Amino acid sequence: MTLSLVLSLLALALVRGTPILLAALGGVLSERAGIVNIALEGEMTAGAFAAALLSYFTRDPWIGAIGGVAVGAAVGFALGFAATRWRVDQIVAGMGINLICTGGAAFGLIYVFNQAGVTPQVPAINQALWPMVVLGIALAAALQWAIARTPIGLRLRACGENPHAARAAGIDPLAVRLYASAIAGGLAGLGGVFLALGELNLYSDGMIAGRGFIALAAVIFGRWTPIGAAGVALIFGLLEALQFALQGNIAWLPSDFLQALPYIAALLALLGASGRYRPPAAEGKPYP
Amino acid sequence: MRILARALSACALAALVVACAPSTERGRGLSLGMVTDIGGLGDKSFNDSAYRGLLFAHRTLGARISVLQSRSAADYQPNLEALANERFSVIYAIGFLMSKDLDQIARDHPHTHFAIVDAVVDEPNVVSITFREQDGSFLAGALAAMMSATKHIAFLGGQDIPLLHKFEAGYIAGAREIDPSIKVDAKYIGSFDDVAAGKELADVELNDGADILYAAAGKAGMGAIEAVQTRPGAYAIGVDSNQDGLAPGKVLTSVVKRVNVAVFDVAKAYRDGKPMHGHVVFGLREGGVSLTHFKYTRAKIGPARLARLARIRAAIVDGRIVPPATLRALAAFQPVAL
Repeated sequence: MTLSLVLSLLALALVRGTPILLAALGGVLSERAGIVNIALEGEMTAGAFAAALLSYFTRDPWIGAIGGVAVGAAVGFALGFAATRWRVDQIVAGMGINLICTGGAAFGLIYVFNQAGVTPQVPAINQALWPMVVLGIALAAALQWAIARTPIGLRLRACGENPHAARAAGIDPLAVRLYASAIAGGLAGLGGVFLALGELNLYSDGMIAGRGFIALAAVIFGRWTPIGAAGVALIFGLLEALQFALQGNIAWLPSDFLQALPYIAALLALLGASGRYRPPAAEGKPYP
Repeated sequence: MRILARALSACALAALVVACAPSTERGRGLSLGMVTDIGGLGDKSFNDSAYRGLLFAHRTLGARISVLQSRSAADYQPNLEALANERFSVIYAIGFLMSKDLDQIARDHPHTHFAIVDAVVDEPNVVSITFREQDGSFLAGALAAMMSATKHIAFLGGQDIPLLHKFEAGYIAGAREIDPSIKVDAKYIGSFDDVAAGKELADVELNDGADILYAAAGKAGMGAIEAVQTRPGAYAIGVDSNQDGLAPGKVLTSVVKRVNVAVFDVAKAYRDGKPMHGHVVFGLREGGVSLTHFKYTRAKIGPARLARLARIRAAIVDGRIVPPATLRALAAFQPVAL
């Protein structure tokens, strides 16, 4: 294995891992505040679709990128609102949001472009791909510090562990959960922007392809810490890069097995981690 | 209600003269029903091509037509059932995923004529249409081998399934026809939707030194076309629909499956009182598979290569070359001296 091959493998791992990393950071944030976030997939979809749509109509990919993050945040806000003000079951709300976002994007394609499946090519920010990779890793470090060491982080954790105690200390758990969910949606939306405008220059139905759920898994394997979740996301990216590189080079190993490799590794990690770590105590429980 | 809503939305989408209220009587002229696969109308590919065939039958044969779109695999059965109950002359199931549901429904409606594309359903009232994708892929492989400067080309598949092995085997054999020692990488994305993964895998192939990519991977294949755009000297070959215009000059050609030809032929045969039965195969000879016309790349390819490609095409049509349809047949393939 030559050095250039190793470098291109690592580069691919970073590109592959970053959208998952961004969504996973969102997942950590909302779960530490007490909201189970299975809507990451839908938030990524909404972000990617909105980014492509806005970039198409304004011909300015930066407006598209910002709009994608904003729409992701709006979807996160909606999840937070349903979970806090309406006390909707968070799993049900999250599933609903996933369906609305994937269905809404599919409908929007037909409604706006009169074609199913894929948008036309739109202005993109491919030059911002690597800055976004760096941004993702920097955000992981910053969030790790903010959650563990700042007063705001303490309040966030209090709402996820014991909202009643937080309330007694003068914190409004509903507001904290709502805003955490909105920021989480924005991060997942950024993951969608990364795919639609960073790597590609279009939105296509199904292009998120389960990355939001992989991000959710990364949150759990990463023990609900930003650095942990980011690490798992990047390891997943590395395994995917490896299976791409290995395909066809190991004749006796079917490509199906190689394609399943990252998921098998994730499953093994889950087995190894089960029981030893616990989620935020009040996660998924409506307050008050 | 759901089916009604879906039928209505299908009509609104088509925004064309689509007869939406199918006759409940038989024998009042030709009526054609169609159930699309999940991609649906507007996929610029498989389903759209089938729909073009339907529209052509509408224009030239005066057929009344109706389309139900499937949003998920759970829609196949109710959609087919809905059309079967409306007594169409011919009902098309577009896509191999529908074969199991169609098998059941064809047995429940023995007097209705059905057609399925890309699969074989062994019932007396079903005509099964498949394509020799290996024919078009063979030409793509030959062209790729002639165009490659690095003597290293690549194939990207959506999923590692027998249907895509036809593309892979044909492509590799076509490349060997030109240059038996050429290096061909074949890798699978694992998805037909994940465009980003398609681009990433294409980048892996390009970094390995391949300079012509043939992507048979549905929407994910667009990732390969994206990837070659930033690489001087690298080209992609499109699949299923004409993708030449997605990146003019960077897509050498597209291997198109003319589902429309097959759909129309089935309708015409029915109208002429000679409905097709059994398993009908559409290849290069039957006009079911072909390459697009090099609109943006004719000068780049040059007349000598195009002439050689035309000779290979003629050899496939008259049977001197038989492109392999499976990886096993590929292993036995020997280049044919023309």
